[in-house]
Order: sequence, then structure tokens, then C-alpha cells
Amino acid sequence: MAKSTSANGKRSTARVAVIAAGVVSPLGFGLSEMLDSLRKARDCVSQITRFSVTECRCKTAGQVPDERLLDKRGNGVRAQRLHRASHMMIEGLREALTQEPQFKPELTVIGTTSGGMSYGESYYRSLARGENLRHSPTWIANYPAQKPVIDAHEAFGITAPCQVIANACASGTNAIGHGFECVQSGRYQRVLTGGYDALSELVFVGFDSLQASTPEKCRPFDRHRTGMVLGEGAAVLALENLDAARARGATVLAEITGYGISTDNFHLTQPDPSGIGPRQAMERALQSAHVSADAVDYINAHGTATSFNDAAEGKAISELFGRVPVSSTKSMMGHSLGAAGAVEAIICLLALQHQFLPPNINFRTPDEDIDLNIVANKAQPAVLRTALSNSFGFGGTNASILMRKFEA
Amino acid sequence: MSLAIAGMGWVTPLGSGVGPVWERLLKGDEAQAEKITEQFSNQCYSVFRVPESAMTGAPSHPRLRRASVISRFAAAAGLEALQAAGVKVDSQSAERIALVLAISNGGVIYTKRFYRDIVEAGARSASPLLFPETVFNAPASHLAAILGITGATYTLVGDSAAGLLAIKMAEDLMTNEAVDYCLVVGAEEVDWLLCDAYRRWRLLRLTPPVEPFGRIDQGMILSEGAGAILLGRDGQIIIEGIYIGGYYRKRVEAEQIMKRILCNLNRTKIDFVISGANGTFIDKMEGSALQQIIPDAFVYTAKPALGESAGAASLWQVILGGQALRCGELPPLLHGGPAISLRISTARVSVATATHAIVLSSGVNQQVAGLRLSIP
Repeated sequence: MAKSTSANGKRSTARVAVIAAGVVSPLGFGLSEMLDSLRKARDCVSQITRFSVTECRCKTAGQVPDERLLDKRGNGVRAQRLHRASHMMIEGLREALTQEPQFKPELTVIGTTSGGMSYGESYYRSLARGENLRHSPTWIANYPAQKPVIDAHEAFGITAPCQVIANACASGTNAIGHGFECVQSGRYQRVLTGGYDALSELVFVGFDSLQASTPEKCRPFDRHRTGMVLGEGAAVLALENLDAARARGATVLAEITGYGISTDNFHLTQPDPSGIGPRQAMERALQSAHVSADAVDYINAHGTATSFNDAAEGKAISELFGRVPVSSTKSMMGHSLGAAGAVEAIICLLALQHQFLPPNINFRTPDEDIDLNIVANKAQPAVLRTALSNSFGFGGTNASILMRKFEA
Repeated sequence: MSLAIAGMGWVTPLGSGVGPVWERLLKGDEAQAEKITEQFSNQCYSVFRVPESAMTGAPSHPRLRRASVISRFAAAAGLEALQAAGVKVDSQSAERIALVLAISNGGVIYTKRFYRDIVEAGARSASPLLFPETVFNAPASHLAAILGITGATYTLVGDSAAGLLAIKMAEDLMTNEAVDYCLVVGAEEVDWLLCDAYRRWRLLRLTPPVEPFGRIDQGMILSEGAGAILLGRDGQIIIEGIYIGGYYRKRVEAEQIMKRILCNLNRTKIDFVISGANGTFIDKMEGSALQQIIPDAFVYTAKPALGESAGAASLWQVILGGQALRCGELPPLLHGGPAISLRISTARVSVATATHAIVLSSGVNQQVAGLRLSIP
């Protein structure tokens, strides 16, 4: 494993605990609703209502219902001006801080792909149509990618600086991975990390234009898979030096034990078919955790259900891990882009805590070219000690994290 | 941990290349403003663009064929920084060099064009060629592909302070002994849409000059380009400390954060400060914090000459600080009024004995950061 040097110059490899987590996703508000949806293999993808999709091939997405999200925001003028992404971040952080009210991060690292994009769309549309622009200062002020993070901080009195990673669909896992390395190195004791993204027309139409999204059900790793569906959400994980967390009596939910990142320069939007990018990320995560592939009990795959991704990722997983159970939970809630890695890290955390394999729904026919042990259609009880979560993005960024059940 | 600048690269409205741009700044040159007009009205804006002549020697690569200018700027600056350091990326080093790219608005030109097609002609007209270039990390991806980097690549989004946040991230990455170098690049491209947005936010001046530290906030002029520094463990310029101070909720809080950052950085005699003053409310905050914490240091801002380049801005400031320490001179502060109570010079000034400098950056979108440079 690569050695690191702490702020005082000493080499350090501190253990890193997840001591709190919060999530808002199409699978529900909070860990408990998410757990219930996972166990019931609920399909949370629905018809798009947020904008017109009449000219798109794909008509569906995993959506966070506004009637619940915005109901929580309060009546203040300022709260009403915030972007939906801010409300998702606030609810995610609220849940985490309910578990650990005293958590004061020294640094926040959050992933996203598109910030407050829908406000940018409103602004441009109003300009183009010569409409009233009286809301434009609100749209502009709430458009930047760091704004939802700052809003969430502000809601709970957190003053830590925030780094916002925009590594496309790998952003959430990159954020957790970087946060993990910051604590592991001994340079930080507490880092707040996670990811968020809200659906927007521009991004939805973008994936549709690439024919990456499907008009059918999302069927990761299925022989007849036809593409992804988009999703949205926010998830946060509070990371702390494990020894410090235990010394103060904090509950440790799980440990992050490894992180791997790689860059695949094959193409801006397609992975190298050899699977080298995903493979390197997973290998580096294993090296970082000092474990071999047979230590991994479950893989939450990136699994977008596009032909290219699943083939490359499936090849890499199969070569490295053989028949380890694999599922893509995007089948249930869509691909929430910058939030995906963080949401899926929480799914791994729940799987480790409650000892089950989350399902890969809509799976009908195995792909003869992808030799994987898919957790098909139903959650399954299992003995799990270590889980791996993958996220791969446009631009060739690949990220994997390893999470371990905490055993005192 | 020792963190040093091993090489630098610069693409600006005053040209490209660290040496040539520095010489022009020393001469007191100012970028030439170009008028751009909003698409939906006759509103005109002045911007400082990178001249075509500055990109004639820029790298050509298949990845850049359809890329937006922001990717070209990033590639040109990044390659210059590597060349200046004499570092080549090969199969041995490909995974030992990390890349962190700071941006603020990103590929706004293609993003606007992509969405314009949707608004004007419907979703069926959306271009699958444009969409990938709208993604924030497209410039980093192109640069990684051109260089052949296979290790850690990150894109950080923020405001004008994003570059310093990126350097902080690079410092954290380099605690890992598996990373030999980290290339930090800040890049931005300018478009009328950004001008309109900043104007509605009352931060933009319609025509130059940018008047730093003025009594009234006259506003900034947007600009574009890229700055790159290659960070290693050895180099002529040392980064002694970086403080990413958090965020401010209200503008008045920015001054408090700046003072805290300056107190942290002011642990040795500071010879000069490369300020982020850009003609907006930032100037008063910075000016007041500097007067209280480091009243004796020279203060310089290049934004009257180069404009506000948002995601590239703090990398430009670090390059300025490094060059001033290396060359022992500060360029003249342009358009500084007589009422400024900071220690400034409107002529080029010798800082030949200078050993320590601070770069202070406060963005208009709530982020503040600073770092201290030294030359042994």
C-alpha cells in the first residue's frame, strides 16, 4: 500500500470509520426507507414529470418526490429560493447529524456533475423567450455547484471549507475516496463527504441524444439490456479517524478500508473495451486496503445497463473476482450521476450492517459474454464482511471503494 | 511535507507563456478589451479574450479537434508547466502524476449551444457530439489523454478561489508517496451568457478599466485562459502553507475569514501579497483585512491588466507570486486610485530581497483561501 505522510511529517495509515450517514433518493428518505426498498426490490423508476420528454426516446427516471422534499423546507423566503439539490443535501445531512449531532468536519468533499443546472436552464429559457427575468438573481446565485453544499453547511452551522469534485459519474465515489485518504493520512480527523445531483432537462436530453438512456426498463448486465435511466438524490457520510471515534464512544457504522482511482484515456464517453480502467481502479482499491480479491463478498457495480459499460466492467469484475455476488442497484433507482457513488456506498453500508445482498432488478437473461454472479431480482440474505462499490464516469474516471463491516 | 513549484504554464489575454506574459505585465501592458453582444438583445459587454496569436503554438491532438476553448487553454498551460519542469509522462510515470483541474463555469460555450438547440428546436435536435463537452471534467479528461496520465485525475468546481482549493487537494494527494508530481491547472472560457449573469448580479463593469480597491465597487471585466503549476517535492518556489478558509454566508463575513487566513499565513515577514481584488465588493474586504494584518507588505493585483478569469484566477495569482519572487520585481498596479491606503506601486517595483509572499483569493461565490510562497 502506498504510504502517506501526516501533517506532522510522520507516516500514518489511520483506520477510517463511517460514523453517520444520510440519504435522500428515489428509494426513500433516510436509511430506513432505503433499506425497506432494497429488501423489497422496489422499482422506483417512474414517468418523468419535471419537464417535457415528448421528443426523447427515454421517458422515465428515478425521481425524488417534490411533495416530500419541498414539504420539509419551511416557509422562509430564502428556503423557498434554494435549488432542489440544496434541499436534498440538507435532508441528507440532517439525517447524518441526527445520528452524530456533535460531528464537526474539518473538510467537506462532495461530488456532483451538474450543480443547480435546472436554474441555469430557467435563466437561459427566460432570456431566449424575452420573459420576465425578475427571478434571475435567485437562479444565478443558486446555480454554482458549491451552493447546495454551502446551503447544507449553513443549515447546521458547519463552517468547514468544501471541495466540490466534478468527475462526472464517478464524482461521489471520488469524493468518498479522497475524504478517506485525507483521514487515513492523519492530516484530518473528520471529513464530511458524499454526493448530490438533481434531474435536469439538459442532462436528461444529453444522455438521450447519445442513446445511452433506454425507453425500456433498466436491466444491468442482462443480455437484452438497452441502456440506463437517470436518477437523482443526495447522500452524505461522516468519516472519522476510527480510534478517535471509538475513544469518544461514537457508534461506528462501517469502515472504509480502500480506495482506487484510475484514468482511462480511451474515449471521452466510452470505456476501453478491455476493462483496463475499471480493473485498475478495483486493483488499486484492493492494494490500498491490503486485501486480495477473495476478501470481497459483494460488489455494488457501476452497472449502468449500457452495452459498453456493462461489458467492460463485467469483464474486469469477472477476471478479478470470479463469481462474487454482483448487483447494480441503479436498476431500482436510476443513475443519480454525482450522487450515485455516495448513494451506493450507503447501500453497501446497509448491506454490511443488515447482512444481505441488494438486488439487481429487471434481470431476465444472463449475458453469455459477461460471466457474473448477479443477485437477480430479489434481495438475498448473506454473510458479508467486505463490499466493493464501483463508479465510472465520462472522461474515463474510474473509482472504487472498499467498505468493511465494523468488528470491534 | 515539502511542496514546491517545479514548473508553470500560462495562457492569458496578454498572450501565452510565463516569460512573455510576465514581461508584458512588467511593462504595464493591459489586455485589449473585446466587445461581445448578447444574443437576445443589443446589450454589449467588454471581455478580455485570449488572442488567437497566443494559441498558434498550442498542442494539436485528436482529442482537441472538437473540444471547447477551455480545454485548449488547459492543455497549453499544462504542457508548458511540464516542459518547464523537464518532466515527461511515460509508461513508468503515467500513474505517478496526478492531475487536478479547477474550474468555475466550465465549458459554458458548448453548454449554452447544446441547450440553445433544445430550446429553439426541441430535444431531437440535441447534438450528441456537443453533450460530452458540456461535462465539467471534459477539459481534465482531454488533458489526461494528451499527457497519458492514468492515475488520479480530479476536477474541482468553485469560484475564483477554486485554484487554491485545488492546490490544497494536490497537497493532500502528494502525502501519498505513490504520487511524484501533481499538475494543478485552472481554466476558464468567457461568453456573453456569463457577462449577462454577472451583470444581473451587479458585479460586472461594462467597459474597462478595472479599478482595484476603489471607493465605489465599479465591477469586474471577465476574462479567460488557463494557469498551470506542476507541484513536486523539489523546486525553486516553495508552497509553505495553504489555508482554505471556509465560506462566507454574507459578504461582511468574508473579511473575517480573510483575516483568519492572513493571521495563519503571517507567521514570518511577508514581503508582498498577490491580491484577488477585481473591482467588486471583494476589494474592500481584502483591503481592510490586509490593512489590519499585514499593513507593511506590498499589494499587487493583476486583474486590471488580465481581468477576472474565475476558475483560472488563483492559479494566475500563484504564477504571479512565483515569478515576482524569482525575478525580484512586481509589475505596476494599473488603475489604482490615489485613495488606496495599502502599500501599492503604480510603477514596476523591485522586491529583490523578497523571500515570502501571500496569495489571497476570495471568490464572488462565497469561497476564500490563501497560501504562502517562499524562495530559499
